[in-house]
Amino acid sequence: MRVRRYGILLAVLLVSFLLLTVQGELMAIVLTPVQSLLVRVHRGALGFWANYVDWKVVRREVVSLRGENEQLRVQALQAGETREENTRLRRLLVLRDRLPLATVAGEVIGREAGGWVRSLTVNRGRSDGIAQQTPVIMPDGLVGRVVQVHRGAAVIQLLNDPASTVGAVVQRTRTAGLVEGDAGGAVRFKFMARDGASVAPGDLVVTSGLGTLFPKGLPVGRVVKIEDKGSALFHFAVLTPAVDVSRVEEVLLITGQTTQDVAALFPSDG
Amino acid sequence: MGLRLLVLLVTVGGGVLQSTVVAARGVGGVTPDVPLILTVLIALRSGPESGCLAGFVAGLLQDLTGGGLVGVQALTKGLAGFGMGLLVGRFWVTNPLVQVPGLVLLSVTEGLGRFLLLQMFHYPAAFGELMLHVILPQALYNGLIGTLCILAEAGYELMRRRSWQ
Repeated sequence: MRVRRYGILLAVLLVSFLLLTVQGELMAIVLTPVQSLLVRVHRGALGFWANYVDWKVVRREVVSLRGENEQLRVQALQAGETREENTRLRRLLVLRDRLPLATVAGEVIGREAGGWVRSLTVNRGRSDGIAQQTPVIMPDGLVGRVVQVHRGAAVIQLLNDPASTVGAVVQRTRTAGLVEGDAGGAVRFKFMARDGASVAPGDLVVTSGLGTLFPKGLPVGRVVKIEDKGSALFHFAVLTPAVDVSRVEEVLLITGQTTQDVAALFPSDG
Repeated sequence: MGLRLLVLLVTVGGGVLQSTVVAARGVGGVTPDVPLILTVLIALRSGPESGCLAGFVAGLLQDLTGGGLVGVQALTKGLAGFGMGLLVGRFWVTNPLVQVPGLVLLSVTEGLGRFLLLQMFHYPAAFGELMLHVILPQALYNGLIGTLCILAEAGYELMRRRSWQ
């Protein structure tokens, strides 16, 4: 054991000294191929290490760029949201300035669209001069009416609420009827007299102004199809509401009254 | 046979590691001598023969890839491995509190030995500068890396024991 141990030491010493003493030409001839091989291995390992370092840098950059991208996306979304809000408010302002009526602008703070009731809650109430049955409009047309008033908020019954009823006429033919919502969320123009039935899809239905509730000429919707029950005394039309109630964000609550037809103040396509 | 192969792999791997990763992880121009640390760890666990051979192979690899005098580090590291292997069972060298200062001391000794050997070949660097800027900082760095290695090994042992229970 001891002999083996010191034998190894002696061999190591001898080989080392031998290597040290033959540093010249002979050493170069013997060791050059070995060194070339080792240099190649060394270069390969260095390349591997360099690749690893590059990969780490790239990965860090990717993480940083992803974060930046996320931030920019959020900013773009916020900018888009602000732009859309700006457009909506401008349209609302233009309508408000055109209308010969006193109005109060309100912001939607709650929604109920379960089917039993379809309503919106806005941040205007009794303290803002809002009363029950106040008509609510948007630049596209009629939204509904106020059915509950609180001190700082009001609940609006939407046009497609099953309990909603609005007196209306077909703008082109002046055919009178009632616009009602139904449980499925559709809006129907009912009780059209058969003799005035030249109503066609695409016709605009506006408020009749016959009661004192809604001003005359507020766009309610467009006729999509006529449903003729044959022998029935009346027939009815299915409407597409002028206002997409699912996307309402800001509204105008009409606090004043007018006998003037306001249809011309709304965009002709709405 | 398996142990010798493992020793050889660790030694060669240490040499490759020294010239790649370690070279890029220098602090103020000082790099640890990973092959020496591995030589010491092998010698402490496998005795003077393995320590001597591992040191010789690791040193020879460093000589061949470093471009210096072939045989210098083979000799000094071979001797370091042998010496450290001989100390097993004496001076509490298995105690980590002895191993780390022992590694620092051995690094300094190996540096001194290398310097003396190089003097035979008219090595031009001044001893003071070499000691201050190379040997001592490297010895301290070796001590730090050695500490980390010992802690890692202790952690591994602890986990292995727990998994048995």
